[in-house]
Amino acid sequence: MQRVGWRFAAAVAMLVAGPGHAQQKVDIAASTTVLADLARNVGGDHVNVVSLVGPNGDIHSYVPSPADAKNLADAKLVILNGLGLEGSTAQFMRIAAKGAKVLVASDGITPLRLGNSPDPHAWQSVANAKTYVANIRDALIAVDPADRSVFEANAAAYLRRLDALDAEVKAAIATIPPQRRKLVTTHDAFGYLGTAYGVEFIAPHGVSTEAEASARDVAQIIAQIRAQKIPAVFLENVADPRLLERIARESGARIGGTLCSDALTDANGPAPTYVEMMRHNVKELVGALAG
Amino acid sequence: MNAQLQFRDLTLGYDRHPAVHHLNGAIASGALVAVVGPNGAGKSTLFKGIVGLLTPLAGRIELAGLKRRDIAYLPQVADIDRSFPINVYDMVAMGLWRSTGLLGGVRGKSAEIHHAIEAVGLTGFEDRPIGTLSGGQMQRVLFARLLLQDARLIVLDEPFNAVDAKTVADLCALVQRWHGEERTVIAALHDLDLVRANFPEALLLARAPVAWGATAEVLTPGNLLKARQMCEAFDPEAHECHIDVA
Amino acid sequence: MPYDVLIAPFAEFDFMRRALVGTLALALGAGPIGVILMLRRMSLMGDAMAHAILPGAAVGFLVAGLNLFAMSAGGLVAGLLVAVLAGVVARATELKEDASLAAFFLVSLALGVTIVSARGTNIDLLHFLFGNVLGLDTATLMLIAAISTLSLLVLALIWRPLVLECVDPGFLRSISRAGAPVHIAFLGLVVLNLVGGFQALGTLLAVGLMMVPAVTARFWARDISTMLAVAVGVGVLSGYVGLLLSFHAGVAAGPAIILVAGALCLGSVLIGPVGGVVRPLFPKQHLEA
Repeated sequence: MQRVGWRFAAAVAMLVAGPGHAQQKVDIAASTTVLADLARNVGGDHVNVVSLVGPNGDIHSYVPSPADAKNLADAKLVILNGLGLEGSTAQFMRIAAKGAKVLVASDGITPLRLGNSPDPHAWQSVANAKTYVANIRDALIAVDPADRSVFEANAAAYLRRLDALDAEVKAAIATIPPQRRKLVTTHDAFGYLGTAYGVEFIAPHGVSTEAEASARDVAQIIAQIRAQKIPAVFLENVADPRLLERIARESGARIGGTLCSDALTDANGPAPTYVEMMRHNVKELVGALAG
Repeated sequence: MNAQLQFRDLTLGYDRHPAVHHLNGAIASGALVAVVGPNGAGKSTLFKGIVGLLTPLAGRIELAGLKRRDIAYLPQVADIDRSFPINVYDMVAMGLWRSTGLLGGVRGKSAEIHHAIEAVGLTGFEDRPIGTLSGGQMQRVLFARLLLQDARLIVLDEPFNAVDAKTVADLCALVQRWHGEERTVIAALHDLDLVRANFPEALLLARAPVAWGATAEVLTPGNLLKARQMCEAFDPEAHECHIDVA
Repeated sequence: MPYDVLIAPFAEFDFMRRALVGTLALALGAGPIGVILMLRRMSLMGDAMAHAILPGAAVGFLVAGLNLFAMSAGGLVAGLLVAVLAGVVARATELKEDASLAAFFLVSLALGVTIVSARGTNIDLLHFLFGNVLGLDTATLMLIAAISTLSLLVLALIWRPLVLECVDPGFLRSISRAGAPVHIAFLGLVVLNLVGGFQALGTLLAVGLMMVPAVTARFWARDISTMLAVAVGVGVLSGYVGLLLSFHAGVAAGPAIILVAGALCLGSVLIGPVGGVVRPLFPKQHLEA
């Protein structure tokens, strides 16, 4: 029934506006792969989603291309994370988006702080991801009211999956002895994950992957790992892993697997979707810390 | 005559324009030859051809078994980085290349090196950086290096330019010494009195040879006038040369 | 107290010892190369080469993914290619070496950016390729040590024609055909030290430890042998003091080392006995002869 109504509406739109509006799907441009995945889950086959930064890519070293500008100009809905994640790229996206609706997906979330600025990696807590999904749903409905019920149904189903995921993560973390729920990683991206699930993340770098660690930073981390008996250090998929390996070796901590922070992997990697990313990260955490 | 150098219809030049045109002749082993001519006569070009820095446009030079390292060459304007931190001793020692090769040490040869420095009158200057030398002193250093090169053919392009009379006399004595050791020496010079006093043989060049033989017979007023008139002949629109070589 | 400040950081932390050894090895090999580059007026070559290696690193990435060995090998090939092409063109034509190098490295850089963006990835390849002196593993240390050793051996082998080529290229050409091969071998050493240094220590440190001590040495020596010794000494001292600075003051390690070298350089410009600025202001009575 719904399909018929939608087709009717599309046909009317074609008659009214001519062939330029013949597209059946809503074009969405998102800044990162995480946002793109959430939008796909809400939009289903009624949307086309592109991500400016590709799989494994680092938003911090993103350089806009003309193709990106075209994707943004063609989009009906542009999704940013906000909280400063996109940096100056946010400005580029707003300008290139022309007439599209611009959604800041993290709206309504109370951010953690990283020094003087907000920590942008809010999606690392499943509860926050649910806020993202609700924001995306509402934005999609605003852009394409005819498909309201589709978007509402998709979002409801996906939110139930996220609830299950949240419970799964909590259950997994519970298997780690409380005194072992701490680790070191290169990227200061897991503040929300740590706060939501009670794991302490300690980072040798600042919030940006561009900052270079000093010998004092490294020495302090090693001393801290030794003193607090931190069981593991983790690599993640965007920054230089060699420094971390050195810290692990020297402090006696175990080297965990790779945690995904800013970007999903491609289809061959362990984390092609948001749900799989969270599962992957938790599996790595439990594997390294529980032992 | 035992020819050390043989020019056969030799034409040398740049971008097809000849600077030395159809030169024939020979230089005997052990000869002491002055090459004389106005500016632009092709003296430096001829020397570059002899030492192999310039490929002939036509004709050839036969070197009678001389290898590259048997020839010592002093260019008119040496391409030397005077600011390079090297002292007189090390600079002179480079002349030993022929006997030491790429890796051989010069430690056992220090007597030879000091001797060469003494022969050019620079004893006491061994540790001076070359950047602190006067023009005449630098020329003495280069002559000391030539001494150590122990070459059978020595080619000197205007070796006494901007050098005082005392230095000229000292360096001329070295040239005479090489002549006495039966080395072949060719030098481009513009001081005709110096040529008459020191060089038994002369080649008067003005793109083409004007006269070649005993110095007194070559450097006549008539020949010199002729050389002056022949010289300036660069023509950007010149036709191809078709002189028949028998 | 002096022990706590000067020695304890190295005694207590393995990564500090490794950083020190890596820096010393690099200073040993790169210092003499820097002196020659400076004397040949090619002091900016290091920076040019940092860009020239990009397409090689990108091709290595396309072939093998984020694999340090493949990307370094690719970078080495691209760097050598650019250096050798620039050297050959400078010798075969009227073009000066700096001009030919400028043309080739810019083309190389453009090619690298094209390859990277055609692949559609935003991963900063060079950022990955450029290592951190604090994160040296054993394999990388061995690599730096091997490059240093090789550099010193090859320099010893080609030293005489190399110096001759700098001071009197015309003379070298008149007595030997070794000029071109020696020049190419030297360029190869430059690229090897840079690429090795990049992935071990980062661009700034690799180029900085090559050039800044060399420039400093110019103010302390009139002959090239002393200059080499001073350059190596300045490199070693900068490495040691820079790491201490990074340890005690919390400054990033690579920049700290180069800043110390820079301070030594500035001091030498002022008070260096050979051509320093201050000395002529306090003239001594001249000598008799």
